[in-house]
This record gives sequence, C-alpha cells and structure tokens, in this order.
Amino acid sequence: MRLDQQPAYVLHARPYRETSLLLECLTRDHGRLGVVARGVRGERARLRRAQLEPFQALALDLLLRGELATLAGAEVVGMPLRLAGEHGLAGLYLNELVVRLTARQDAQPVLFDAYARTLARLAASEPVAWTLRRFERDLLEAIGYGLQLRQEADGDGLLQAQAHYRYDVEQGALRCTAGAPHAVRGADLLALADDRMPDRTGMAALRQLMREVIRYHLGGGELRAWRVLAGVQPQR
Amino acid sequence: MTSLLLSSLIEALRCLPGVGGKSAQRMAFHLLERDRERGLKLADALREAMQRIGRCARCRDFSEEPLCATCAGSTRDHHLLCVVESPVDLAAIEQATGYRGHYFVLHGRLSPLDGLGPEELGLAQLAQRLGEGEVEELIIATNPTVEGEATAHYLAQLARAGGVRPTRLAHGVPLGGELEYVDRGTLAHAFGGRMPCDHP
Repeated sequence: MRLDQQPAYVLHARPYRETSLLLECLTRDHGRLGVVARGVRGERARLRRAQLEPFQALALDLLLRGELATLAGAEVVGMPLRLAGEHGLAGLYLNELVVRLTARQDAQPVLFDAYARTLARLAASEPVAWTLRRFERDLLEAIGYGLQLRQEADGDGLLQAQAHYRYDVEQGALRCTAGAPHAVRGADLLALADDRMPDRTGMAALRQLMREVIRYHLGGGELRAWRVLAGVQPQR
Repeated sequence: MTSLLLSSLIEALRCLPGVGGKSAQRMAFHLLERDRERGLKLADALREAMQRIGRCARCRDFSEEPLCATCAGSTRDHHLLCVVESPVDLAAIEQATGYRGHYFVLHGRLSPLDGLGPEELGLAQLAQRLGEGEVEELIIATNPTVEGEATAHYLAQLARAGGVRPTRLAHGVPLGGELEYVDRGTLAHAFGGRMPCDHP
C-alpha cells in the first residue's frame, strides 16, 4: 500500500545497516509504524537526517508492506518546533509513552491530534507537568483505557469534590479517608476531567495516580524517562 | 566454498562496518595469497585490543591502562572538561581544535527508548568530578540531535549544581555552505544564535 503525504512525527530513530535508519513514527491514519529510511545517514545525507528528528511535523510518503514501511519521501511541515531543556526531556517522555503503550498499525487519529497539541504546548513553554498529565489522560482515552473521572466506582454517585478517593485501575475512584496512601481529592479528579490545572497538592496526587495507572498498563514495568525526569529540577 | 576455515574467516570479516560478502571475500583472499605475515599481525593486534582495551576510570574513554594518557598526563588544563557522546567525537575534536583540556565520554546520550538513562552514561561519576572543585568550565559537546540536546540540558544542570560554568558548542551554517541549501532547523538555530560582529 502506498501512503502519500501522510501526517507523521518521528518518535525514535535507531541506526540500521550502514547508512539507514529504522524509525518509529506516529502517523495520523495508520497509528504507530516502523519505517525503514534508506540512505539517510552519513556525510552526504545530513539534510535528510536533520528532517527526520523527533518533534517535527512531517508529511511522509510511505510504502507499507507487511510489518514495516519504507520511506519514499519526507517533507517538513511548518516551522521547526524548538523544545529546549526540560521541554525536550518531556518530549522524550511522550515518545516513550506512545511507543510503550500503543501497538503498531493501530490507527489513532485522536491520539495523533493529542500528540501534536502536546508538542505545541511544550514548545510554547506551558507548565510541563500539567501538559504531560493532559496528554496521559488523552492517550489512555484514545487507546481504550480512559479514566473514570466523574463517577464513583461503588454506586452510581457522581464524584464529590470534597471527598477523597483511591483510584483503582480496574474499578475506578473508590472512596477512602483523607490520609490513606495514594488518596486524591475528588476536586483534583474533576479538574483533570474538566481540563483545569489543579493546585500543587493536586498535581502531585495526579502524577502519582497516573504513574500507577501507566505502570499497570505496562504490565508492571517502569518508564526509563521517569528516571531521567527525576534527575532534573523544574525551572519554574 | 570447500574450506571451512576460509568461509568462517569470510563470515567473521563481515562484522566490520561497510564490509559485505564480496569485500570480505576479497580481504580473505588477499591476506591468504599475498600477505600472510601482516594477516597474522592483524590477528595479534585484534586479539590484544579486544582483550586489553577497557575504559579509563576517569574519563571513560577507551584505554588499556586504568587511566588513559590524557587523564594521567599533567600538561593538560585541569579546569576545562569537555563532554562527548562517543570516543569518535573525542577524536574529531582532538583533530580539529587546539583543545588542551580534559574529556568525559558518555558512550551514548539520554535516550529512554534505547534504555539509556543517567546510570548508563556514568553521570554520577561526572557529578562527583564536577564536585571536586577543579573543573571551572564544562564544555558540552553532545550532538545537536533531540536526544543530544536533552542530554545537554541535563548536563548543564549537573554543572550548575556543582558550581561549574556550562558552555555548549555553537550551532550554525557549515563553512562553505550556502543558506539556500541549509535545512530549516539549522538555519533557525544559526539565526537565533547570531553573534555581534564587534570582535576586539
């Protein structure tokens, strides 16, 4: 199958053979794809290599056969995004999250849009932690593991802003006491649902919650990027 | 191919970069027909190097001694430390610049998807060295890729935490290049990082 001008981002590139790259791309209409880019490394190919860096909106011409696609052409779309410092590290985290949680060739237009939006937010230096939480929420939603952020798990009641909850991945938000481990305020869950940034305490609780959820969906593994992000201090 | 040894030699030579079946065969025949003596020398050198070359305890560059010549020598400037991704980058800087300071080799860059984090790059060791107080400037010479830039950011924070001034290699249009043919990202970098012309 030939794909023309497919909107895509490179998530990761690794050297392949002498002068080629094996790319992991997120495409709009075909989800995550493994793409072989031939002859783009080495001294004479510097131009193409620079185009195939992550965080750059691309239009790819691809030849899709079986598991892997072959790159026939790549065009840069729009201005290059500049993710400096902490935002660049956050971008690497996004990419690891997408690669680890999505399957290849599983079309996710919603995820693609969420990813593009998140990169734009990072490039605009919006608060990193909140930008990541929003993306995690949208990613989980897109791959069918959306969080239950409005209803209580036990019973039909709506989440109460003043109550405290423990989030169980399979059941949802279960009421608990304020001091319980991993307790999060109802108001913070609602804030995530409504796309409003909670206060500092809420952000810490949501970060903890998301890690647990992601760890569960990874099958108990860790993300490497967590350790990288743990080593840097936020600049804000 | 009848000789088992010959085919295993050809197969072994193919592990080299840029060497396919045809070149491997040519190399094998050349050594056997014309240059057995040097072939043996090559075998000895290979064995020695593979078995004895490790990493310098201080800069992590390749070295057969616990400390490499650069680190052990006293003629270099101890106040300058240049961080590179690989020994190849170190060699490139040595050949192209008159740099007389010390190096630190990461053997990679921060890349979660390749399984490379701070531990794999020996960053604890680097932090310790920066904390010793001898280094005044940390020259960050990681590659201008997304991962290299992220690594540079991490290293700069490490340097500041140790009271060391971090600097980064400049980005720009290659010498002899033409703006028309420079890719957008490089041009944007070069434009953003323009320098005043008033050299003293």
